[in-house]
Parts: sequence; C-alpha cells; structure tokens
Amino acid sequence: MTRRAVETDVCIVGSGISAAMVAERLARTTTAKILVIEAGDDTVPLAQRAAARERFVRYNENPWGRDHLEGYEVEGPLQSRSMQVGGLAMHWGAVTPRFSPEDFKQHSLYGVGTDWPISYEDLDPFYQEAEELMGVAGEQGPEDLDPRGKPFPLPAIPLTYNLDLLKKWASSAGIAMWSQPSAKNSIPYRGRPQCCRNDTCSPICPIGAKYSPDFTWSALRKTNRITLTTRTLVRKLVLSPDGKTVTHAIATNRDRPDEPVELRAKLFVVAAGYTWSSHLLLLSAQDKAPNGVGNSSGLVGKYLAGHRNVQTIVELPLRLYPGMNEQHSLVTKQFMRLKGGSEYTRHDLRIWESSNGRAPRLTDDSGALMLGDAILDDWRRRTKTGTARVRAYYDVIPDRGSELTLDVARKNEFGDPLPKLSFRDAPESVSMRARTEESIRTLFADMARAGDGRLLRAPTVDNFQDHPSGGCRMGSDASSSVVDSWGRTHDHENLFVVGAPTCVSGSCANATLTFCALALRSAREMERGLPQASAKSSE
Amino acid sequence: MPLTRRGFLASLAATVPLAVIVRRAHAAAAEYVQGDPATLDALALTVLPSQLGRAGIAREAAAFRDWAAKYKESAELVHGYGTSRLRSTGPTPLTRWTAQLDQLDADAQRLRQRRFRDLSAGDREQIVRDALKGERLDRMPAVVDASHVALALLAHFYDSPGAADLCYEAQIGRQTCRPLAAQANKPRPMLKVLEK
Repeated sequence: MTRRAVETDVCIVGSGISAAMVAERLARTTTAKILVIEAGDDTVPLAQRAAARERFVRYNENPWGRDHLEGYEVEGPLQSRSMQVGGLAMHWGAVTPRFSPEDFKQHSLYGVGTDWPISYEDLDPFYQEAEELMGVAGEQGPEDLDPRGKPFPLPAIPLTYNLDLLKKWASSAGIAMWSQPSAKNSIPYRGRPQCCRNDTCSPICPIGAKYSPDFTWSALRKTNRITLTTRTLVRKLVLSPDGKTVTHAIATNRDRPDEPVELRAKLFVVAAGYTWSSHLLLLSAQDKAPNGVGNSSGLVGKYLAGHRNVQTIVELPLRLYPGMNEQHSLVTKQFMRLKGGSEYTRHDLRIWESSNGRAPRLTDDSGALMLGDAILDDWRRRTKTGTARVRAYYDVIPDRGSELTLDVARKNEFGDPLPKLSFRDAPESVSMRARTEESIRTLFADMARAGDGRLLRAPTVDNFQDHPSGGCRMGSDASSSVVDSWGRTHDHENLFVVGAPTCVSGSCANATLTFCALALRSAREMERGLPQASAKSSE
Repeated sequence: MPLTRRGFLASLAATVPLAVIVRRAHAAAAEYVQGDPATLDALALTVLPSQLGRAGIAREAAAFRDWAAKYKESAELVHGYGTSRLRSTGPTPLTRWTAQLDQLDADAQRLRQRRFRDLSAGDREQIVRDALKGERLDRMPAVVDASHVALALLAHFYDSPGAADLCYEAQIGRQTCRPLAAQANKPRPMLKVLEK
C-alpha cells in the first residue's frame, strides 16, 4: 500500500487548547512550517452559535454538532466525548485560576505526593502569556495567596449583586473571597466582544466573548501560518532505527481510510489531552519501544491526576435574584495553604448564586396539587430568602494505579484498541480522604451558622476526579517520569508531549490555564531548534 | 368525510415505515395544535397564573406550541460529564400531548356536554385535576419529560426567564444578553407587572 507523505517542520497532534498555545507561539516566534492534525471535524462557526445555543437552551441538544468520533465508547470515566477542532475547550466554562505555589512542592513542604521539577515562579511568565493570549479577566487576590508577576490583562468580571451579598456572608465567616478569574471578555478584547451574560458559557458562548481555541486557529489559518488538517487520526509514531527520534507519524484520513498518510517532521508535538496523548504513545509500540513510544519508564498512562469536590446548598436569609450570572463564582485560595503544624488538608472554595431549593413546585406542603396563581404565589413565598451553592475541590494525590491502558476488548473502526481509564487515590490520599471531607463539611456548617443560615441538604461528594490530567508526568528523573520539565520525552529528543498529560498532580483548582502555561513553556524550548522569526515579525 | 387527525395517523400506520410515521405523526400533531389552538389556550388559562393577563397567557401557550412543533427526535443531547456514553432526544411527546388535549375535550363532553374551551374556569380546573390524578407531581418536570400536557405547559412556562422575572418581580432576564456592568446592581423592579 502506497502512503502519501507530507513534510513539515513541526507536526502537532491534536487541536485543543494546548495545541493552540504551542502553535500560536511557534507561529509568532519562528518561521517553522507547522502542521496541525485533528481527528475530528471543524467546529461550528461563530455565526451559527446563537442558533445552536438556542437549541441547547430549549431542548438540551448538543450545540457542537459532529463533535465526536463514532464508536469511541470507552471503559472508565472519560471526561468528554468531544473530539473536534478546539477540543474540549470549545465547551469549557473558561474558569482560569492558577495553581497555587504550594502545588509544585507538595512533597518538600508537606511530605505528600511528588514535587514538580518546576516552581510556580518558573511558570508565572507563561501563566501571564496564556492569560494574555486568551484574555483572562481577573481580580488580584491577597498577594501572599495569589502571587503574580504582572496584573491580569483584563479587569475582573464584576461581581453580581448576588455575589456581592454572598461575599459579605463569606467574610462574616472569616473567608476572603474574590471574583473567579475567567477567560471571558470583561471588555472587548482581540476582536471579540464583551461578555453580555448569556450565561451558557459552558457549553456554548453565542457571541465569542469566551475564549475558545478556534479563535486562535482562525487567526493562524487566516495568515497562512499553519496548516490544519481535520478528520485525520494519527495512529502511530514511528521511530528511527536507533530509537532516538520519531521519524514520522502514520495517520488515516477518515474519508479515505485505505490511503494512509505519512507525516514527516523535524519535531513532533503530542497535544491530544490527558487521554489521547498517552493512548497514542501506547499504540505506537514497536521494536525499539516495545511498551510504547516514550515509555522506557513504564509510566505512560500512569499517575492520572484530578480532584474531587464536596458540595452543598446553603439557605440564607438574603433576598437573592438567581439568574443574574449563574456561571460566575467567588473563589478563595485561603484553604490551599496549610497552617503551621496542621494535618494535610487542602482545598479551594467557591460560591455561586443558586436557584436550588427555590424552584417552582406543583404541590404545596400538604401534597395538594396547585394550579394557576397558587404555584406562583407559593414560589414567591419561598424565594423571599435565597440559596447559595458552595463547593470545595480538594487534593487527591495521584496513584500509579490511576491509569490509562489499552483495552483489548474494544477497538475503533481501524482495529486499534481503545483506551481504558481507571482512577484511584494514592495510599496517603486514602488516609486523608475522610479527614478532608469532614473538615469541609465542618467548614460548610460554620459558614451557614455565620450567615444565620442552614444547610439545605447534607454535603455530597462527587467521586469523579474532575479536571483530569497526567499520564505523561514530568520530572527530572527518566526512571520516574515520561517527559522533562519542558515536555520533551526523556526517550526521544524530537518528541514533546504538552499540556494536561505532563501534570504531576491535579491541584484543587481547574487546571486548563496550567495546561496552557505548560504548553507555552514547552513551546519556548521547541523554539531553540527552529528557525527564528525576525524580532519585528514575532512582535 | 374529512380526515380526522386520528384517522390520518391510522392511515399512515397502515402504509409507511415506522420512522416516517413518527415524523409525520409529529408534524400532524404540530399542525393540529397550531390549527386548532383553542383547547390548549383554554388549558393555559386554567393552569397558568392570571397575573400574566389573557394576552400573556395566550403568548405562553403560543410559545409552548412553538417549542413542541420544533422538537426534534433523535437529536444528540449535550454530552455528559465524565462518561463516553452519548444520549439523544426521545420520541416526540407532542403526539401524546395532543391525545391528552382530545381527552380533556372528551371528558368535558362527557361531564358537561360542552367542549373544554367552553367550560367555566371552575369546571375546567376540575377536569384538569381529575386528569392529573395518578401523575407524578413531586417536582416540576422538564418539559420533554412531562407526562401530561398540563404539566408540560406549566414546565415550559416556569422554566422561562419571564416566569423568574414574574416571581421575583424584577428584571433579571436570565440567560438573555444583558449589559455586563449592570450585574453589579440589584435588578430593577418589573414595572409592567406591577402596573397590571
């Protein structure tokens, strides 16, 4: 079978948010020829998103048509089926907190988990770069808890009337909270409009006020700085005879499955998220890499990371108006830093306005059916006071047994095994779990008491490890990690893995901004081997 | 003899494949409630709050008809979080709801020898209450899940931004495009409602 060959300088596998960061930076700072390969389709154009959103609001329909591949039902908690240009960040909530400085040195500070090979300070300029690329609107928290080298690029999303009242309530409980940083335009930015509170950020912003990677791809395509090829699934990375470099990737165009494509590049960048990055490396097993490419440590697919949350609804004697901007929240990092001598318990804390417990109902307290004015009158009576949704994400220390493996029982249409995912806590995390959750429950009860309120229901724990990452963790030691601090695989000098898979741990905050910062830092290292753009063109 | 809706559905069932029948049944049901809205309008007058006024109630009934007519079967639903399982919308509820509207009329004829639309408010309410006996009433359902057209009409209205504004007597405008800066302020009172 003849393979069609494509030559390029940089081949990026995946077109999600980390891929967009790498491509944007390399397109700006180098003259390298960049090819981006995406297995899914192009995404819904901005002009069609208002109509797509309308169908979502009215019928809960998926606003991102054709955003997945058929036959990819995998075993285990896959975060999302989305596979399209822009990846999962087409439907993200654009919540962009940074990790805290403590996240990078958990072991040396607290004796748990594993230290990262980089510090918060190393990552700070790349956090800033990512925030500027996306347009992050944020409020500076207390500087000791929320350090940053430069101010946020955009002013904070203003607190709603509701959140302002809830902030005062939190303050009465001794908790300093502020506006959650978000990649949503608090002012017009980079040709995209100001947010107007359509309040369906996740899954879809109808006006483009929320950053999504398609905006970066559109700009790069417009200037012909990249080639983005869709509907093409990379199925194998092939090594040189000495095994030190990747010579080419073999891909299949979904429209022409009988004509495999050979992608030749100087540099390969796997930017396919926490699932598909490890999956590709494992699928690429060959003579020089019998356990998969980049996998001499045996750790590809291991140490998947994430965090759980404890959540409750608090009833408060406050007149609140749910619906003002339900997706925006307050946040604090107060509980992400341990007090001296205390046992290890770390979590963030968020508060949202809520209509939970205040929905209209059909029957009154006696169970009798209400009709006509009675339902509205009952609803009015019950909304004289409001409720708040309170959530704390807490650390789960990743375990080697949190893993992605190849599932021999399930294969895709080309006969490749699908991934299988399983998560579990490291033994030290198991022992901390009950204490952590009890501590959060106590905090919630204290908060309710401080506001003369009550918990509307007992706090619940979401067992799903949210905001997943890992699988190709970074480290200085090639025997205990897959990539170095730049995302370069220890085994192959021209193969990088970027973003989510490289995380050592999952912190207790949304991780996408960290994925972006890590990807940009990786891109800086890639620049070394590529022809540099002139200073003027890279501005 | 003119073809009735039921007659039309029966003739369809005898001649064409199921998927086509379902599509045509949905279209026929939509046409039915659009073409003869009086029963649904009367039901809306019975179950929706009077503070909407007659015109407001008629608007809500029309909005519900529009929702029902534009429902699509087997449309992919928004992806679940943490699962690779995909879900799709189910069969149209509109055929069931139109049958229930017919039943309200039949009950009105049986009990009062008049059409539902011609009954007094009290009689209409009694028939609706009887129709809802045995239905699950422990929570306001999602519109599409409503087991009875009366519940669907209620669910559709109470899920709307307008219903929340009416409840709070404030211009919240949930999930509508609104100035960002204004969110720092208490929502303004809903003058139109207060003036009614």
